[in-house]
Amino acid sequence: MLTMEGGGETPVVLSGRLDATQAAAAQAYLDRLQGVVTLDCSDLQYLSSAGLGVFLKTHKRLLGAGGRLRLTAVNRHLQDIFSYSGFDQILEIEPGR
Amino acid sequence: MSESASFARRIDVLAEIVAFTTAAFARQGIPAALRADVDFVLEELFTNIVKYSRGKAPVVIEIAAIPEGVEVTLTEPEADRFDVTKASPVDVTLPAVQRQPGGLGLYLIPRLVDSLQYGYSEGERCSRIVFRKTNATPSPGAAGRNEDERC
Repeated sequence: MLTMEGGGETPVVLSGRLDATQAAAAQAYLDRLQGVVTLDCSDLQYLSSAGLGVFLKTHKRLLGAGGRLRLTAVNRHLQDIFSYSGFDQILEIEPGR
Repeated sequence: MSESASFARRIDVLAEIVAFTTAAFARQGIPAALRADVDFVLEELFTNIVKYSRGKAPVVIEIAAIPEGVEVTLTEPEADRFDVTKASPVDVTLPAVQRQPGGLGLYLIPRLVDSLQYGYSEGERCSRIVFRKTNATPSPGAAGRNEDERC
């Protein structure tokens, strides 16, 4: 289960698991946002390659319009996924505790 | 001790797999810190089967505690040969505009586990993938192995 709240002037808070069953809903949510979009990942427990695809597609769309995607409070599991996939080189990522 | 369960080949079954993994970890005393990586590998392997395999029979997942970790076996009946240890390389150094998400899941699997084995039985048309994850720090690109006729 994944919940997403916020956006626009406030960070988007993701809670739960961003897996293959949640990717379409997450993409639809992020597709509405513009500019510099911050994702608060402090309660995002899990991310699969389907979630990576959502982040990549969103980041590329935002870049095309002068914005970008940035992630904050990223946990250890997510940091490993971002590191091994090279996403730590293309996204602005702020580690969590 | 080990325990196994069968799962229909549908994406929405992922929640059942997570529930099974959660319960198996708890019952067998497997370190919870390993859960996210195990869930990741299982999701990537299972969704790959759902997307690309032609078989209909349920997929069997077995979870067994090993010293400081877990061994997971995923058995796919009615399978075509597809060696996950030989997945296509992905260039993870490309800039964002040149990146495509496809193939990342299988690429990441050997980087998250200690070992990964693939076996295929031509006679039974059955594939078997075994991976181990322990508290030991994984080395990026841990070597996979192919062991045919192991179903």
